[in-house]
Amino acid sequence: MRHVGGAHRGLDMWLLQRASALYMAGFLIVFLVLLFAAGPMGYETWRGLFAPMYMKVGGLLFVTALLVHAWIGLREIFIDYVHCLVLRLGLYLAFGILYLGCLAWSVDILWSVK
Amino acid sequence: MNRQMNRKRPYFLNLLAIRLPIGGVVSILHRVSGAALSLLIPVLLYLLWRSLRSPADYAAVAGFFSGGLGWLIGLGLLWALLHHFLAGLRHLGFDFGLGEGRERARQTAWLSLAAAIALTGLIGLSTLSGGGA
Repeated sequence: MRHVGGAHRGLDMWLLQRASALYMAGFLIVFLVLLFAAGPMGYETWRGLFAPMYMKVGGLLFVTALLVHAWIGLREIFIDYVHCLVLRLGLYLAFGILYLGCLAWSVDILWSVK
Repeated sequence: MNRQMNRKRPYFLNLLAIRLPIGGVVSILHRVSGAALSLLIPVLLYLLWRSLRSPADYAAVAGFFSGGLGWLIGLGLLWALLHHFLAGLRHLGFDFGLGEGRERARQTAWLSLAAAIALTGLIGLSTLSGGGA
């Protein structure tokens, strides 16, 4: 029988976890620099940060990396602590759906800034 | 002879009886902070949405984090992010074979633990009087 929901898909997950971590670290550092360069913080300044297309695309990539990273991290925790296979697969699916919803929402949030 | 030694061993995983090495403390906090941040993603997106929607919404979000319970929650979030970031960098170093020796690993464990707490404390102090992020 094929094993589902187990810890035997290590390498691709391992790599994705590192790659997403590196992208997020780089983005956060650039974002912090832009934040400080933007001057005194207020609504207009904050909104202005998200106006350029590179911030929308870069931000969407950040959210995507974050969701992938979070899903893989939660998966590791579920593998360690949730031993009922049906429940574990249910949790994978529930968070997968929740996070896909978050991805769609973040597109709307980012592109709502004109 | 062995019976005497065995008697002193823990019989179950009593979290209060286990003395984790510092690397273990940093590792479990990495997991705890990561789990917390993962579960809070929808909340964080909600805050981003509100903060970008209108000046009044922005003021509401900034106001929430500027004092009292919201300020504490913000610092908790900040610590989780900083600890996860710094401990994660340490783990990335291990992947490249950096700092794997016992002494160096202990040093970087203390460093990442202390730096996350110190940075959170500094930012907390600087927002205490200034008000607003």
